[in-house]
Amino acid sequence: MSSKQDILGRIRAGIRERYEMPSLADLQATVFPDPLEAFITASLAAGSKVVEISPSSDINATVRELFPDAKVIASNLPEINIATINPDTVGSAQELNGTDVGIIRGSFGVAENGCFWIPQAMKEKAVCFISENLVILLPKTEIVNNMHEAYRRVNLGDYGYGTFISGPSKTADIAQTLVMGAQAARSVTVLLV
Amino acid sequence: MSRHSKNAKAFLKDAKYSEWHDATFWAVREKRDNMAHGLPEWEQLRQKASQIKLHTLSHLDEYLEQFSAAAEKNGAIVHWAADAAQFNEIVFGILSEHGVKMIVKSKSMLTEECGMNPYLEGKGIEVVETDLGERIIQLLGQAPSHIVMPAVHLTPDQVGELFEREGISSEIGNHDPTYLTYRARLSLRNEFLTADAGMTGANFGIAATGDIVVCTNEGNADMSTSCPRLHIAALGLEKVIPDYDCLAVFQRLLCRSATGQPTTTYTSHFRKARPGAAPMHIILVDNGRSEWLGNPEHWQTLKCIRCGSCMNTCPVYRRSGGYSYSYFIPGPVGVNLGMLRDPRAHSGNVSACTLCLSCQSVCPVKVNLGEQIYKWRQMLPVWNAEPAGKKILCKGMSMVYNHPLLYKAATGVVKKPFHSLKTDSDE
Ligand code: SF4
Repeated sequence: MSSKQDILGRIRAGIRERYEMPSLADLQATVFPDPLEAFITASLAAGSKVVEISPSSDINATVRELFPDAKVIASNLPEINIATINPDTVGSAQELNGTDVGIIRGSFGVAENGCFWIPQAMKEKAVCFISENLVILLPKTEIVNNMHEAYRRVNLGDYGYGTFISGPSKTADIAQTLVMGAQAARSVTVLLV
Repeated sequence: MSRHSKNAKAFLKDAKYSEWHDATFWAVREKRDNMAHGLPEWEQLRQKASQIKLHTLSHLDEYLEQFSAAAEKNGAIVHWAADAAQFNEIVFGILSEHGVKMIVKSKSMLTEECGMNPYLEGKGIEVVETDLGERIIQLLGQAPSHIVMPAVHLTPDQVGELFEREGISSEIGNHDPTYLTYRARLSLRNEFLTADAGMTGANFGIAATGDIVVCTNEGNADMSTSCPRLHIAALGLEKVIPDYDCLAVFQRLLCRSATGQPTTTYTSHFRKARPGAAPMHIILVDNGRSEWLGNPEHWQTLKCIRCGSCMNTCPVYRRSGGYSYSYFIPGPVGVNLGMLRDPRAHSGNVSACTLCLSCQSVCPVKVNLGEQIYKWRQMLPVWNAEPAGKKILCKGMSMVYNHPLLYKAATGVVKKPFHSLKTDSDE
């Protein structure tokens, strides 16, 4: 506790002039004539696959078609009936290791960079990272232009965790060569519903 | 000859390598330029980012209190570390309390600054770096040569041979980066599943919500915190920003400046511990920062968001490499941070600058890096003086620092010729 007071005291002693917070209202942020189209372009650039499906089509059949060899499928979404493991009911996060396909829901996408917001809506968020292939169900009507708009919509939910994801896990740490599939998902497929 | 000059001379002996180094970082600079030119609002964003930082740093007491209150309300345990030693003790205390033998951690220049890994290893705790570049240099026993791309100085052969020695890769002679990355993935997966605790740094702390925000491309911060029962997050005081509206500005600038991507793959918000886990621990680290804030000429270095773009653009960094500098953070911002840390130990670095000011024209938060290096140079007689004279001069300088008017008088002579170099700093 004394460290806290010492630190704050030193900060107060050091500040000579208090600067105003700038207004952000006049920021001319990029908007897109067709945010969905921009989102798709940016998603592909980030390494995501994008599949548009009609609301009446069977998502389960689509996932099966995309990943015919998948054995372990993890999801807690009510519309998914092909899941073999549920991140809400596993005994430990470690049990999700070996998941071939994880299916989760995104709240909205961001046109400028192809990321989508994933609030934790399952007990074990490991499913979002540990799965070899990640499938995101995303409503195509929910695309914002840029991160300013995105952060006005961010909601972490009860679990108190959320993440923007764009494409598969990647690295260029060895000689600046881009490699998809570093520590987390090796592929990301956005299903635009 | 300064230590930097000697090291740079040695670095340049291998002409092929130094040309490759130069070209590699220039390519990152070009990627950054593509991003900047692609956003018509780029300069406006930089201006706002700079002003938000000036505002936040000059209200840091208020924002830190707001941040810690919000984090505590979320159920986190907030610690305040005055210096590196206290930080290390706090980390060790938490780990001991939970009986932790092995931790996985994501990249953090702060833990590097505090020498945390060797400290914990000395106490018998195994620390596994999970960012691929950090893992590589950890296994080699090296320090990072760049703050964003820590292992970029190594060739695929060097990494491949390392992985063969460590038993990480099995196909001898296969030094393809894709293969090596895959083998590292398999090896690290085991560590993620068995670690007792996960540790992350932070790119931002959000005062309004108490969130810790971590940006990675590999997802290793998320993997590090998805299985272990304990999450410790460490952040320097200057990482706290007011709210999500401000975060949007920095988020848009950070990755575009750092690697030339429109965003990192993951921008993760940690507010609460995961269900069933121990409470999240957040450690706010001072280690000099509160004093630097009181330095009238150099406090703006604290605006830095550690994107690394000042290194990528710096003609001296590109042609001398990260290991030529005496401070653990190289390049323009490292020269300045080293001088704030210990001017006598790091004054040699101030000559590693051509005053081209390319650094401050790319810096996303407009730190006036080159101008500050110029100012540090004016102090060289102080730091380089003979021991007896040095003592008097140093004493004099600390008096001058604490009296802004005296300081102005003392440096007034050198300000004028420099004026023509001034670009776009906010003051
Ligand atoms: S000083 Fe600016 S350019 Fe350099 S690392 Fe910090 S934010 Fe980036």
